[in-house]
Amino acid sequence: MIAAQARTDAAHASAVAPPPLLEVRQMIKDFPGTRALDHVDLTVRAGEIHALLGENGAGKSTIIKCICGAQPATAGEVLIDGEPVSITSPQEAQAAGIAVVHQHTNLIPELSVEENLCLGEPLPRIGGVLIDWPEVRRRARAVLSPVDLDISPAQLCADLRPDQLAMVAIARAVARKARLIILDEPTAALLPREVETLFAQMRVLASRGVAFLYVSHRLTEVFDIADRVTVLRDGRNAGTFDKDKMDRKSVVSAIVGAETALRERHITPVADGPALLSVKGLHAARVNGVSFDLRPGEVLGVAGLPGSGAEEVLNLLFGRTRLEGGEISMDGAPLKLRNPADAIRAGFALVPQDRLAEAVLHGYSVRENITLPSLAQFLRERVLRLVHGGREKTAARDVIARMNVRTPGTETLIDALSGGNQQKAVLGRWLTTGARVFLLNSPTAAVDVGAKAEIYELIAELAAAGASVLFTSTEVEEFPVICGRVLVFSEGRIAGELHDEQVTEANIMTIAAGESLEQD
Amino acid sequence: MSKTDATAPAPGAGFDLLHFLARYGTILSLVLLIAFFSFMRPEVFPSMRNMFNVLNQVSILGIIAIGLTVCLVIGQFDLSIGALATFGGYVAARMLMEIGPANGTPMVVAGVVLAVLFMAMIIGIINGALVSYLGISAIVETLAMSFIVTGVILGISGSRTISPTEIPAAFKIIGQGNIAGIPNPVLIMIATALVLWLFLEHTQPGRNMYAIGGNKEASRLSGIPVKRYALVAMGICAACAALGGMVAAANLGAGRPQGVGETYLLNAFVAVFIGASTLRPGKFHVLGTAVGVLMIGVINNGLSVMGVPSFWQYIVQGVLLILALISASMMVLRR
Repeated sequence: MIAAQARTDAAHASAVAPPPLLEVRQMIKDFPGTRALDHVDLTVRAGEIHALLGENGAGKSTIIKCICGAQPATAGEVLIDGEPVSITSPQEAQAAGIAVVHQHTNLIPELSVEENLCLGEPLPRIGGVLIDWPEVRRRARAVLSPVDLDISPAQLCADLRPDQLAMVAIARAVARKARLIILDEPTAALLPREVETLFAQMRVLASRGVAFLYVSHRLTEVFDIADRVTVLRDGRNAGTFDKDKMDRKSVVSAIVGAETALRERHITPVADGPALLSVKGLHAARVNGVSFDLRPGEVLGVAGLPGSGAEEVLNLLFGRTRLEGGEISMDGAPLKLRNPADAIRAGFALVPQDRLAEAVLHGYSVRENITLPSLAQFLRERVLRLVHGGREKTAARDVIARMNVRTPGTETLIDALSGGNQQKAVLGRWLTTGARVFLLNSPTAAVDVGAKAEIYELIAELAAAGASVLFTSTEVEEFPVICGRVLVFSEGRIAGELHDEQVTEANIMTIAAGESLEQD
Repeated sequence: MSKTDATAPAPGAGFDLLHFLARYGTILSLVLLIAFFSFMRPEVFPSMRNMFNVLNQVSILGIIAIGLTVCLVIGQFDLSIGALATFGGYVAARMLMEIGPANGTPMVVAGVVLAVLFMAMIIGIINGALVSYLGISAIVETLAMSFIVTGVILGISGSRTISPTEIPAAFKIIGQGNIAGIPNPVLIMIATALVLWLFLEHTQPGRNMYAIGGNKEASRLSGIPVKRYALVAMGICAACAALGGMVAAANLGAGRPQGVGETYLLNAFVAVFIGASTLRPGKFHVLGTAVGVLMIGVINNGLSVMGVPSFWQYIVQGVLLILALISASMMVLRR
């Protein structure tokens, strides 16, 4: 009876949805000190386009790496067609029918399409020695035939559009018998029209039974293409939605989780008054007519997906990238910012996103790291430019005390400090230059939780002391914590402005995805 | 948290041999080498006269290597220093020959020396400009420049050496005279070392150069004109190479258009890299370079007073350089 019942259920289920191609059961991945994946389940059916969503650090990349064998999972099962498999290398992933196409496709730009399609496979030979190029071309045409691409196999990959590159990579995966293709942010570099062609091709392949696991930040696209959505948050399952149950509001709330409680916010009210920094009609490579005012004491957030122009505004204001048009003025006086030195003179300070690569002097002392931009203030005289060591040390000590940098002394190597204390020193170096506008790009990246709170507190103190802060972060949940006002960017423009209690993760993500807020 | 614990030296952990060797290993080996040679040839090696001999022998190498240190501090290589040393010696001798040895007053000689230093600095600045503004690899660019300089010198000289009779005595004093018993080349080396030590360690431009060598992007974002500093560093390096070449020509009393600088090129790199594993592992600095230069001098002098065939000098130098690099890289790996 029971067996018969189960059979009927299974038959019923298969009529509704195709059988699972990939099943991930209770996957755990531990890194030293953190659990990146915590009992995660994921099911992808044959012929399905399945989107994987989540904030940065939610575990999306980790689960992909564990599925394709780039990293071993700590625990859990991976099943293909219901059979447990063990995948520990790219070769085994290929044998299991899994292929990964990264944002920067694994194609070599300097080689032609046909050469790329042959990579890693034995080439056809004439008499076992010379490469049989006509045969290589025939094979390349056969590989490209399932997709509708208007390119010649002899073209260099460097000459192709990003969507064509993605399609070549997908075609190669299909030709190698891939049944599940994992796309890691495939549309990040694509124009809207190119996204359309890519999606059309994906639908054709899906109708033939190829499954796609699709990772993206762009919600609008996800609703457009995905048959099903799995959301991860903090390494755990936060919801799975079928196409008919996908609505923006529930997906976004699954992604962001509970909104930041008001008591966790570090926001000081801003007095009305004239703007300190005024930006009008900023134009550059990825910025399209951006204007805003920044008042003294204000912490203004600029939010947006990667490539939306939010981060670029900080780089433009610091003279890092070329400005093509627009006006920047401080206290009403227009500024010309050709390089970081100009920006520093004008009173800007930058904490770049990548602390290790762009901010810290490795192998040098905390003192040398703090006085890096301000050595000119500690000169004994202006001719030989000898540095007054005592005054320099005193200034470094002041910064260490004000920023609460925990270090044994000024001469300790910066590398010996924790990430949070390194970042406090990097932020503190700008106290010595008398900066008035702080441009902070993900200032709490790679620091521990305690140090995060301290850095928020320091930012609030800087603002309370009259400085202005322009803040951006790859972690959306930070904006409600420290920003009283947020400009949300989309495609190089300010798509929306949020104030006070409007500043929520959900609102930011909705506007960043190119949609408008509901009027409820 | 755990990361801090792992990297911070545990208080009272006792003597850390690796740490000690990485810092003081080269100085220790220098002391051991001196002790060894003094023990083997007590009547010759440790004498005052021989010590000055060692210093005199390494003075030209020292001047060139200290200049090269400045270049390596900002993370650029300069392979044109050999050709520039030849250039310095030959051009100074040639200019003095054209002026006439009889007109070679000390003032004229000083003018010629300054003019040659200026010319070399211009070549170095061209090196720096090509490397930093056009982004050409410094190794290839300075190699190309060394061919050009070598070719020009061979061309204007017709491969003819300028003989001692064509060079004024006031110039030869630079390489052959002494003050209070200390040979002039040694004094010039010490002066060069002092000036560049002060420059690198205690002036704003010098500190900025170290910052550039430490992290180019962080330096640029701190308002340091990173590209311009490549011009300054390579200019200083080129001027030091030419100065070394002039001291060599004065010492020899002849202006040779070839075969002068090549001998110093590789030894200068050896000395600077031994120096980078002394006291401050992984960093190039003048004091370290001085230790490296002395080490090369002591080995060469010591082995030759012991009557050991000269091929051993190369082998011992190579072994010591590898040991020095190993100790420095172990420190860097541990960080």
